[in-house]
Amino acid sequence: MTHIDQVPTPGAPLPVEIGVTPGAKRTNPFAQVFDELVRFAQSRSLFMLHYCTGCGAVELPPAMTARFDMERLGIQPMVSPRQADILLITGYVSVKTLKRVILTYEQMNSPKYVIGICSCTVNGGMYWQSYATAKKLNDYMPVDIYIAGCMPRPEAVIEGLRGLIENIRNGRADAWKDYYRRYDHYLGNQQRLFGADWQTPTDVIAEARHYDLFGPATLGAHTALLEQHQRPLEALAMRIEIPELMRRRSRADQGGTAQ
Amino acid sequence: MATSPTTVMDQLLTGLHLPDGLDAFAGVIRESLAQVTNSASWTRYGRQSLEWLIGMNPVDRLFMLSALTLLLMLLLGRLRSAGVLAVLLYGAQFAALLSTDTLFGAPLAAEVRITVADQSLHWSYDALSWFFAMLTIGAGFVTAWYAAGSWMRRYREAGRSARAFHVALALNCFGMLLLIGSADLLSLFLGWELVSWASFLLMALVGGLGAQAALKYLAYAISGAMLILGAIALLYSVGGSFEYDAVVAAIRGMTDAQVWTLLLLLGGGFAVKLALLPFHLWQAAAYAEAPGAGSVFLGAISARMGLFGIIVFIVGMIGVSRLMTLEIPYTFMSSRELIAWIAALTIIVPTYTALQQHDARYLLAWHGIGQGGYMLLGLMVGDAVGSAGGLLHCFNYAITQAALLMAVFAVVHRTGTADLNQLGGLVTRMPLTFLVLLFGIISLAGLPPMAGFVSKWMVYRSLITEGMPLLFVTAVVGTLGTILSVYKLIHNIFLGQLRVEHQEVAEAPLSMLIPMLGLSALIFLAGFIPGPALSWVAQVQGQLGLPVVPWVLGGIVDPRGGLDMIWLVGILMAGFGVGALVFYGFGGRSRRVHQLDNYAGGHFLTADVHYQYSDNFYAGLMHLIGPWYRGAFRWLERSLAATLDLVSFGAEGLYRLAQPTLLMLAAAVAMLAWVL
Ligand code: SF4
Repeated sequence: MTHIDQVPTPGAPLPVEIGVTPGAKRTNPFAQVFDELVRFAQSRSLFMLHYCTGCGAVELPPAMTARFDMERLGIQPMVSPRQADILLITGYVSVKTLKRVILTYEQMNSPKYVIGICSCTVNGGMYWQSYATAKKLNDYMPVDIYIAGCMPRPEAVIEGLRGLIENIRNGRADAWKDYYRRYDHYLGNQQRLFGADWQTPTDVIAEARHYDLFGPATLGAHTALLEQHQRPLEALAMRIEIPELMRRRSRADQGGTAQ
Repeated sequence: MATSPTTVMDQLLTGLHLPDGLDAFAGVIRESLAQVTNSASWTRYGRQSLEWLIGMNPVDRLFMLSALTLLLMLLLGRLRSAGVLAVLLYGAQFAALLSTDTLFGAPLAAEVRITVADQSLHWSYDALSWFFAMLTIGAGFVTAWYAAGSWMRRYREAGRSARAFHVALALNCFGMLLLIGSADLLSLFLGWELVSWASFLLMALVGGLGAQAALKYLAYAISGAMLILGAIALLYSVGGSFEYDAVVAAIRGMTDAQVWTLLLLLGGGFAVKLALLPFHLWQAAAYAEAPGAGSVFLGAISARMGLFGIIVFIVGMIGVSRLMTLEIPYTFMSSRELIAWIAALTIIVPTYTALQQHDARYLLAWHGIGQGGYMLLGLMVGDAVGSAGGLLHCFNYAITQAALLMAVFAVVHRTGTADLNQLGGLVTRMPLTFLVLLFGIISLAGLPPMAGFVSKWMVYRSLITEGMPLLFVTAVVGTLGTILSVYKLIHNIFLGQLRVEHQEVAEAPLSMLIPMLGLSALIFLAGFIPGPALSWVAQVQGQLGLPVVPWVLGGIVDPRGGLDMIWLVGILMAGFGVGALVFYGFGGRSRRVHQLDNYAGGHFLTADVHYQYSDNFYAGLMHLIGPWYRGAFRWLERSLAATLDLVSFGAEGLYRLAQPTLLMLAAAVAMLAWVL
């Protein structure tokens, strides 16, 4: 199960494309001002879903409360992924947990940011040899910031969050786009861990089209495998079925076919 | 015959007092009716009786039509078309009520009178009677419509008698019309008894729990009637007559002690019907367990008869100013404050009992008791705005409660249960019913822009301006409970997870949907433009001798702060409009997701697992206030019942002499008590 090749070579860049996408360059100065404004607003109001795995979670209460107080940076906990901006993974991720983490990540609305706290999320940390934990979080979803340490102190957590804020302001925090652009890559890693019949309720490919991020690497062998067994979850339609009216309509239909 | 059917129709339509704008419309109707009447072969007898009906005193005509409804239901109630016939007959009653023109015109006495042992029973209609009769017939009309189609078919299929239902409903309406029109103490008592027994009939129709609750109601109703009889005896002994004029004169001459006695007797008697604390325990089960449409009728109007009695005697004849002079010894309260506080407790206790219910029918029935408190509270404040608010709440509450109960029974009709723990997610399957319930709960909770807001706002405002801040706080606490529990109602039925077994549920049948939608439109309109309803209320106030509310089309004008609902609703809608403009104007798109694509701490959801949080709703709140639910009133009721049991057991023994030992024992105890 353990793949030695998953360990990143020291110094090598993470396999995440970072930076403003070339096509999105704005020439209109007003649009740039507007973008700047939106980014500023986004960076100062972040809701955080802390998915407390592992032992790093104990550093969060001091980081959130009066002593270090991340709320002064505009960061607040949030209970549901639909309204959250940040997904905080606070330690080693077992294979079982990883499934839930991916489900939660996919349920978040874009733009969304992932922060991996603790060395365990970077490379498996002291669970490196465990058969039950995922080693590198960014194999399965794009990670914006890693905060290494076993475990990192609240100052380090706050420092990492500041880094994220800085990235959002500069427009560099768009790792989330990578998930849509290279979905096949991430899905492949997920399938290798969870098996070929792995699926989540979210239709990522449709979302990629929705966000205009559908690219050549979105689809591939792994998404083809997914499509073979995927059961799409359509939203429940609002149905106004008044029986009397329905009957009349169906009678009219029958009359129409009889003629 | 000198008159042709056309002129008959002319008379009928001119009797209706149509407003000017409708004349052209009336002309069209008249012509089409003339065609119908000419082509149809009217028998001579039919024409004569129609003429007789038209030539009659309008109040007599109203009674006549109501009695005719009862008779026809008795004869034809078993037919399939009886439901439609009933709707038409209630519509005719409504037209007859309008033709009495007693709201804006002068009071009108009926020509029917019964003379028993030199005492004549007679009836007359005035603005107050018109107001309550309008509510009664309106409730009968929508109920009959609701019951006319699919609902009645199901009711029959369950092996129940359609005729019994129709007769019970017609009898209720008839009894109420008699009670409302009573012009002396005897006709009042006759009407009162008729109403009590008629509602017992409606409650006991389906047997089972309903019949048990109805029996309990009967015990309460009989003791209430005894109190009223006592009051009548007192009034007769002082005034020497059963006529209302004599009664008013008699009350004016009464000593304070006599008025106190009268107040306790009358107040107690009417409070039973209105279910004021501590006589409230019978109502929820009795109303909730009645068959669906019957429950709608009972919930909307039945308990208001108690309020009617209180308005006639305590507000009208004794008067709020007299109440204020009746001090309770050794306290700083007057009898008015006593009644106001009873009303306030009637708001709080049943409303928070409703919060605990997990059956939608019971939840609404408990609210019905609580809302009665607002009406009485407003009347007890006694100023122009407060009393108008109390009276207006009768109307607003009636349409609200009818719509709510109809929506709940539509859900019962489709899913077979009203258990709030077994429903959920029905908004996608019954969207129109959801809309009706939504309008209803906004109104019941007293939030703008629905009708309930206007009347509750008026009650609140009068409590503040008349210097009763504590009562105001109590009323607001009651409203808080209402908001919480109606949210529970709509959440557990319509929001959240759609259950597997309800995947194929259809919208409510058309026959039930039409009155529901009509009522919700009325709820919105009466909130948006409260003027017409306020004009009725103002007439009633004028007739009762209360200060008259300064109403305009959009609400009330007052230097101390008025209310204009047209503006308020406009601003509210504009707020939503701006929000929608910002969202959709900047390209906002919403995406609906499947209910299983939901966050439950990261769990993968499946249809067979319930993740909706409905049982033990408001666990956190209940943790705080749970210990306050002691059931003290139930305990009181049980101990009273046990005492009565014991007494009746003893009396039985005494009567039959079957228990000589017991008799000896009782005699010995009595002797001992006397000696000591
Ligand atoms: S890095 Fe250390 S503290 Fe953090 S999860 Fe791993 S073992 Fe625990």
